[in-house]
Amino acid sequence: MAEPILSVRGLDVAFTGSGRSVPAVRGIDFDVHANEVLGIVGESGSGKSVTSLAITGLLPATARVSGSIRLGGVEITTADRETLRRMRGNDVGMIFQDPTTTLNPVLPIGRQVIEGQVAHGRIGSAAAAGRAIDLLREVEIPDPAARAGQFPHQFSGGMRQRAVIAMAMSGQPRLIIADEPTTALDVTVQAQVLSVLARRQAESGAAVILITHDLGVIAEVAHRVAVMYGGRIVETGRVEEIFARPRHPYTIGLLRSLPRIDGAEERLVPISGQPPAPARMPSGCAFHPRCPIGRDRPICAAEAPALVAVGAEGHASACHFAAEAETADTSARRPEPRPLTPEGAAKPAAEPPLLRVDDLRVHFPIRAGLLRRQVGTVRAVDGVSLDLRAGETLGLVGESGCGKTTTARAIMGLLRATGGSVAFDGQDITNLPRADMRRVRRNMQYIFQDPYASLNPVRTVGDIVAEPLHIHGLFDQMGGEKRIAELFELVGLSRTMLDRFPSEFSGGQRQRIGIARALALQPRLLILDEPVAALDVSIQAQVINLLQDLQRELRLAYLFVAHDLSVVRHISDRVAVMYLGRIVEESAKTDLYERPTHPYTQSLLSAVPVPDPASRSRRKRIVLQGDIPSPARPPSGCAFHPRCFRATEICARERPAFVAQPGGTTRSACHHAGPLDASILAGAAR
Amino acid sequence: MTGYIVRRLLQLLPVLLLASLGIWAMIYAVPGGPVASIVGENANPEQIREVTQRLGLDRPVLVQYWAWLTSALTGDLGASLHAREPVLHLIMQRVPATLQLGFCATLVGLLLGIPVAIASAIWPGSWIDRTLSGWSALALGVPTFWLGILLILLFSVELRWLPSASAYVSFFDSPLQALRNTAMPALTLGTYVSGIFARFLRASLLSELKADYVRTARSKGLPERDVVGRHVMRNALLPFVTIVGLMLANFIGGTVVTEAVFTYPGLGRLLIQAIGSRDYPLIQGCILFILVIYVLMNLLVDVLYAYIDPRIEYR
Repeated sequence: MAEPILSVRGLDVAFTGSGRSVPAVRGIDFDVHANEVLGIVGESGSGKSVTSLAITGLLPATARVSGSIRLGGVEITTADRETLRRMRGNDVGMIFQDPTTTLNPVLPIGRQVIEGQVAHGRIGSAAAAGRAIDLLREVEIPDPAARAGQFPHQFSGGMRQRAVIAMAMSGQPRLIIADEPTTALDVTVQAQVLSVLARRQAESGAAVILITHDLGVIAEVAHRVAVMYGGRIVETGRVEEIFARPRHPYTIGLLRSLPRIDGAEERLVPISGQPPAPARMPSGCAFHPRCPIGRDRPICAAEAPALVAVGAEGHASACHFAAEAETADTSARRPEPRPLTPEGAAKPAAEPPLLRVDDLRVHFPIRAGLLRRQVGTVRAVDGVSLDLRAGETLGLVGESGCGKTTTARAIMGLLRATGGSVAFDGQDITNLPRADMRRVRRNMQYIFQDPYASLNPVRTVGDIVAEPLHIHGLFDQMGGEKRIAELFELVGLSRTMLDRFPSEFSGGQRQRIGIARALALQPRLLILDEPVAALDVSIQAQVINLLQDLQRELRLAYLFVAHDLSVVRHISDRVAVMYLGRIVEESAKTDLYERPTHPYTQSLLSAVPVPDPASRSRRKRIVLQGDIPSPARPPSGCAFHPRCFRATEICARERPAFVAQPGGTTRSACHHAGPLDASILAGAAR
Repeated sequence: MTGYIVRRLLQLLPVLLLASLGIWAMIYAVPGGPVASIVGENANPEQIREVTQRLGLDRPVLVQYWAWLTSALTGDLGASLHAREPVLHLIMQRVPATLQLGFCATLVGLLLGIPVAIASAIWPGSWIDRTLSGWSALALGVPTFWLGILLILLFSVELRWLPSASAYVSFFDSPLQALRNTAMPALTLGTYVSGIFARFLRASLLSELKADYVRTARSKGLPERDVVGRHVMRNALLPFVTIVGLMLANFIGGTVVTEAVFTYPGLGRLLIQAIGSRDYPLIQGCILFILVIYVLMNLLVDVLYAYIDPRIEYR
């Protein structure tokens, strides 16, 4: 095999800023070759981003680096600043996570794309503008000559990230490091960006390191995978091997804790416990406190296992009992298997819905000028109707800006409805006066996305959970301190934690506290707004299982708002898909995911990366062009028509009705609704 | 943009109206009046009545305000009760001196403050940062009258380079004389304000240096001077421009203590004299003028914002 472009040996990185040395990366080895995509996957604190910064010499001054990093034969760990600077932009290009913050807001895009090359003296400033336009054209920015003079805020998220790709490729580097390049993007935009990245990589023959927490993205794009945990690579191998025959209990756990969009409906098997914090790294194998196969054997806590070859060529696992990992019953700690579909599924259809939303509209005025005259309207929610019964979960999905959170808030009465009605348990609660609404809210509670921002940091978690009881004057009536302790145990926390503050809890535990607070008043409906989006995969599975258990025990109704279609498939009974303020398709889960009829649903589902590398060559993907339009200026007729692969002339003229489709539970709003057939795909897929 | 500026200027009118009403009310709320200071301690009631009548102070307060307001709308701010000169004339006499000192002091502040801020933001925690932070604390902590006196002792008494009492000489008439007269008050105020400038800009630079786009700029291989000079500086200037504008407005509005130390003929001393003698029309005039300066300066800052940050659009 040819000489690798990048060769990392025994890399150690520790941060000394806090007075003592905190290890972030602890002795890792890997190579990357030309024309190869190496995926590095890991949860927060695994050391994956620190590795990428070490390769580019961008670590802060408090970092201590040892070991060897050779890029094209040059040793990086000992290189002086000037050598490192010359290397960056010439030999290595970097793509970062969030394109809204990685571009400088006050400089034109074209200049930002090319300025590295100007600084390296590889292009004169006269030719730079023209070259910037060419680079933008290569990443499919429409009208690049005009766009080069614009600023980042005038670009959509997907266009910004493509501009960042153009920037990273501007020096034709031999190595590209992409650190969570699509995490901040919507799924249809992620598909666009990944396809541009893959094409540019293939054209240039560069080596790519793709760092992500998303196993689906890895399975779609990477050739080889390195799984990181606690600052070490715990398993590495060809992507097909890793997904088909994982040989490290962590990798196995990660794959089993992942909700799948492609069917598998078993209960998730979370990895117990939390990922370790670098400052409190367990001894020996960092995974041993969470490991289902170690069974407290002393060697696991005493000795860090080395990566040893297992199975196929290039496949290695750092586990003392890798052979057992393959065969052992890793589900030893699996809870009693329970029927996944809650009893609610068998509910009599005659039962009236707990929540009925009819033609709900929430419009926001756009005001301008001296007298704040209304000059336009943002139709954030524009005619949404849905029903939800006790014990049932309705998933509400859509990309950013589709109005799903606005819908949820309007149902709670946190936003004023412009029109339509919301009824809870038969009572019309649309725009109720504040005091009346408060009484209704006892029965409907809201769970927020960000478990860090939604808990008051200066109150104990016991107080936080008790607060709804105090607000409603029910603290003593509902059992006082005893009730709070029960709630803690209900969500899997210990009652000894009552007096601690939120900062002492991890993200997953905080979300449990949020759930306990929501359950304090014994509500009948929970509105969950992206409840697991901020959590690591292994923790996400714990919270999803908890929500499912609670629903079964308490017969709760869930309105589950999320952008992650895999999570929604896993938890929902029925799913509604929103686009620009309207529901475009609604159906029982299986019908929606297996027989979608609306072209938007079809594109959305095809864009979701599936953690199954074996199927990637077979999958046809619809890559939607363009971006989600502004709800202030929705397109005429069907709002989806400018991006739709089935659109005809009627679509621009007439808004399609939301009607039942033959042969199932599906209703959708499309003039050309129907199953995806091969001829359509041939035209739309790329 | 032009439309925006015109609208902002129109918004100034109700502000000035409310302010004038407020000032008028405030003046009448405090005891004492202009008559006593005009007629002297030994005046008989006859004299007092005569002066009160001549000044129109025997009319109801609202009538007085109305009379003042209607003539103010025609550009006539009335006459000073003491100097018996038009208020506008008195203010305009002081404006060039005040402007010259204000701009010079701000310039000194920027020249001293910006390099200090950059050096200490690039090497936070280093000896240079600690030294410079100490210096900016000193600049803020030393009272201006004390620094002014020290400067006078050094440059006027010891070295005899500069006049101890600063008169106003326009830069356009005699640059050298203007410099000799403005140098010490400008240095006094400039030193003080450089401490504020340095702290603001340092904080703003430090937070910008943590931004993601800085990492992007470095990952392109830009040299550090371009990272700071082209990327960080422009973003850090946004909040900084606000504080510079405010301080400049503050100086133009008058700097009472410094003007007193150097007997500089600025607006601050005029206002203090007016308040001391209850010269109502002059107080009104001075405060309205200062208000206009503040509003104009804010407008200037907002316009600069749009120039620095392309995300800001004024329509």
